[in-house]
Amino acid sequence: MRTINRVRAGAVIAAGVFALSACAGSSTKSGGGSSSSSTGSGSSTSAANNGKPTLEIGVQGPLSGANQALGLNIDWGVKLAVQQENAKGDLPFNLAVKEADDQGLQNNGADEANLLIQDPKVMGVVGPAFSGPTAAAGALYSTANLVAISPSATAPKLTASGFKTFYRVVANDNIQGKAAADYMAKSLKAGNVFVVDDKSQYGQGLSTAIIAQLKVDGVTVETDSAQAGTQDYSQLASKVASSGAKAMYYAGYYADGGVFAKALKSAGYTGTMMSGDGSKDPNFITTAGKDAAEGWQFTCACLDAGTNPKYAAFVSAYKQLANAEPGTYSIEGYDAANTIISVLKGLNTASPTRAAVAGAVGTVDYQGLSKEVKFTSTGDISTTAVYVYQIKSGVITLLGDVNTLVGGS
Amino acid sequence: MYFTQHFWELLFQGIRLGSLYALIAIGYTMVYGVLQLINFAHSEVFMSGALGGVFMLTALAGTNGNIPSGFSAFEYTALALIAGAVVSAAVAFSLERVAYRPLRKRHAPKLVYLITAIGASIFLYNLAGKLFGRNNLQVPESFHSGPVFVLPGTGPSGPRTVKTLDVLIIVTAFVMMVVLDLVINRTKLGSGIRAVAQDAETAQLMGVDVGKVISRTFIIGGLLAGVGGVLYAMFHAVSYTMGFIPGIKAFTAAVLGGIGNVRGAMLGGLLLGIVESFSQGIIPNGLEWVDVVSFVVLVVVLLIRPTGILGERTGRAA
Repeated sequence: MRTINRVRAGAVIAAGVFALSACAGSSTKSGGGSSSSSTGSGSSTSAANNGKPTLEIGVQGPLSGANQALGLNIDWGVKLAVQQENAKGDLPFNLAVKEADDQGLQNNGADEANLLIQDPKVMGVVGPAFSGPTAAAGALYSTANLVAISPSATAPKLTASGFKTFYRVVANDNIQGKAAADYMAKSLKAGNVFVVDDKSQYGQGLSTAIIAQLKVDGVTVETDSAQAGTQDYSQLASKVASSGAKAMYYAGYYADGGVFAKALKSAGYTGTMMSGDGSKDPNFITTAGKDAAEGWQFTCACLDAGTNPKYAAFVSAYKQLANAEPGTYSIEGYDAANTIISVLKGLNTASPTRAAVAGAVGTVDYQGLSKEVKFTSTGDISTTAVYVYQIKSGVITLLGDVNTLVGGS
Repeated sequence: MYFTQHFWELLFQGIRLGSLYALIAIGYTMVYGVLQLINFAHSEVFMSGALGGVFMLTALAGTNGNIPSGFSAFEYTALALIAGAVVSAAVAFSLERVAYRPLRKRHAPKLVYLITAIGASIFLYNLAGKLFGRNNLQVPESFHSGPVFVLPGTGPSGPRTVKTLDVLIIVTAFVMMVVLDLVINRTKLGSGIRAVAQDAETAQLMGVDVGKVISRTFIIGGLLAGVGGVLYAMFHAVSYTMGFIPGIKAFTAAVLGGIGNVRGAMLGGLLLGIVESFSQGIIPNGLEWVDVVSFVVLVVVLLIRPTGILGERTGRAA
């Protein structure tokens, strides 16, 4: 009798779950749930079954969790680079991708880095994607002599922390922050600006840089902070609205930025709303809703493939592999992976060492898709372009390079 | 000063958040009343209600996100609220059947209930994350919230207004609470719940079907949490982890008001919402202090009244 009851209860649950998932089928369209098994065995290499040994390129970033979109964009970029390289087959080994999912959380940074470090086949890492995990993992990668090229971790202090194997292919937030401040002061001509950060490594680094430059530009600044996961943004939104600031900058990630956008809309804020690379993602629009997201502007050192014919080949190859459009940091992930691949090629040996790879990355000069990859002595990228994007009719569209926008006004 | 200028606005926003806390807190407090169990999976009951409501909105709205013709904004919203309530009630009911009833039959110690509740919570939110993705889901806007009335107090950007959505949240929450209060105090089901809360064994001897009463308690808690979830979704975001923080806050509210006491949960929720809102208005950069202030209030209240504001009156009429 008891077992019968239990079976019945199980059936009830199963039916419920099934019904729920049936409803869901029609409405979820996120690129999520694409977690391919982490050993990289499945990814693109098995085709080249030619007796060569296999080495790996690691990817560390948020592949699940609230901010997974940014990590997955990078992951697919890396997978594409590896797939193309294996198809060419001019290395003395096959390449595979090994994924380490830190969910973008600082607490997971060290564990996930160790996962990659302990695998002797990993020759280089693309990532960590977010600044918090990078701060936690940078020293570990240094000690292991394993090169970590981040396509997206932009907190300024990361390259000043003595992580000797850490590099990044985007301009850091001192540069992004300065550009954002100049844009608001000179192009938007905002005399007073409200800056909100999310208290994360990334958000605080960016807001500090923005505030410093706004003061240089003679702009009145008001600031506030709202930790990620804040329950009710409406008080903060009212504060921004009643401050009368001409522009508002949110330094944080899209999962919270979108909620804040909703609250700002409902509070009736009419100034220009801006955010940074961490919020520049279609999920910002999903979270906020089309109405509230419309008109938001984003600064980003990243370059979108968009409709630029220069990137058409990349876009179509990416779409074929990932079954999605390339997003923020897809190109940078692709470039970071190709930088490692070009170094491996330069070394021209079937058994490269991590130390040799790390040494060669420091002096690399590789023409990537987005920019020339060439590092300063601290590991920052030597080019400093920052772009401004805007949501127009529900689509994130490139407005232009900050330097031209500021200069041209 | 910011606080005095914006007093009414802050009060209003506090009541809005507080009435949502209250709706969730009732579920904690009622289950505690009949089982002496803190149902930590209640935050996932709340989350599933929000998902149910959002899927209903999405299904009705279709791809363009507009209100379908033939529906008024309120009918549309009402359908979503009903869907959310039904889904939550179903989840709460199954939860009791699958997770807690087997324990009750075997007379498991209280600690086993607690760990089961935490396990059920982790299971449910991971299941939701797996099924529906881990990004925030889109919430179709049921109405383009226009201002309803103007609040006293002004800022540089003009007078502050109250929107349709705000009124909807508060009115719905209060109607639900009044109805619940009547059900508990005036109906046979209500006296059953109170009897079980007072003394389950004696209630059974008096002919109360304890199993049924517990089931229904879970369903009622689920209904309220589901409505709360849909309302919350409309001004916040929907994702598989959305239940966690509101769940903790609502549990706090239940303790603040006196756990096991339904009116206490309502009062505790409102109070917590208003305290959170005011602390942001009074303290500069107050958002960072919100949790500090609310838990200081909790500690102070428990120091003065260890059983909460209205007392731990399980089973009494109020």
